[in-house]
Amino acid sequence: MWQERLLRLLRDEIEAILAPLSEIAGFSDLIKQSLIHSGQESGSVSIKHELWPLLPLIVYEAISGQYKRALTIAATLQLMKNAAEVLDDIEDADSSTSLSTKYGSAIATNAATTLIILAEKTIARLKKYRVKDQTIIRIMDTINSFYTTTCIGQHLDLSLAPGEEISEDKYLKITYMKSASTAECACCVGALLANPEQKLIKIFSTFGCNLGMASQLANDIQGVLQGSDIIKRKITLPVIFALNQADSHRRNTLKLAFDDSTETMPDTTQIKDLLFHTGAINYTTVKMESYKQLAQDNLADAKRGGAKIERLKLFLK
Amino acid sequence: MKSKALQELVKQIFSDTKTKAQFTSDPDSILSQFILTEQEKRAVLTTHAKLGLITSDSQQLEAAINPTYTWHSPTP
Repeated sequence: MWQERLLRLLRDEIEAILAPLSEIAGFSDLIKQSLIHSGQESGSVSIKHELWPLLPLIVYEAISGQYKRALTIAATLQLMKNAAEVLDDIEDADSSTSLSTKYGSAIATNAATTLIILAEKTIARLKKYRVKDQTIIRIMDTINSFYTTTCIGQHLDLSLAPGEEISEDKYLKITYMKSASTAECACCVGALLANPEQKLIKIFSTFGCNLGMASQLANDIQGVLQGSDIIKRKITLPVIFALNQADSHRRNTLKLAFDDSTETMPDTTQIKDLLFHTGAINYTTVKMESYKQLAQDNLADAKRGGAKIERLKLFLK
Repeated sequence: MKSKALQELVKQIFSDTKTKAQFTSDPDSILSQFILTEQEKRAVLTTHAKLGLITSDSQQLEAAINPTYTWHSPTP
């Protein structure tokens, strides 16, 4: 399968980037551990899930018909993404399998710092593909700009008071900044590297943004279905909808369940039931689907601009 | 993407049994009463065609959300 072939090439690229660390066995292993997503530990990652690291590469290929140059970009973004995940685990302190839980926050912070530095170094590897300095600088600036947005989004999220009610607009803004902006970044730099007209870069960036929003709302639904967000009292779009639209009795039940100051654990079955019956899950699913529809429209525009979009459609199935 | 109309639509369907019944039998007749974007209309109809009105957990719902679930890393 083409996905497996491209993933193998991406793994090889990352191995090459990590090679200088191999003399210090403990450190090298630690960095590799930070690159293993918890979902992969069972070794049962589906191909659909494995598409995500390939996103910038598939965008580049859609425009240029080739992929090799974009391996460097895909590796860079993977390192940035994993650094962000390690830091997020330190900030949230809510994962029993995170690097910071296993080795402490000092070791984890140093690993995340290393990943960021390696990501920056990786961009310079575009030189070996004879990419112009001007393009390399533009890509570097674009990645750093998007990840600054991610950090601001994370700051806004961390700055919310425990149990604070937020509007849907504010929630979607934070969701874009801390999450969807990384998918937008992946599509933007994949397109930038292919050097098409500015219009096509904009179309692919918007596609990434809509795809990222759909992905995050899917996470919100999953968080309710699995009960994990209810246990963590994490206020996501379904909860915001229900708080705004439910009758006062249901609203009070929700407020109590998501109140951090109470010690009683929320009843996940009761809260799930409430979120289904107020239409909150239906609403979030429709909202997710709306972003997918927008992303489909973006792909249609990209096709009219000459891009081959078949592989990108897989992200929307 | 901001739409009060979409919120109102879902609220009305889930709080009013008459609207719910009419939406189930003829979704377009309800949709036409709300000012929705083209993508929102398509999203409502697509979701309804795939999942109906979502009132509880279902395998279809799981299947509908899994493809965009998360961003995994390739293990080096």
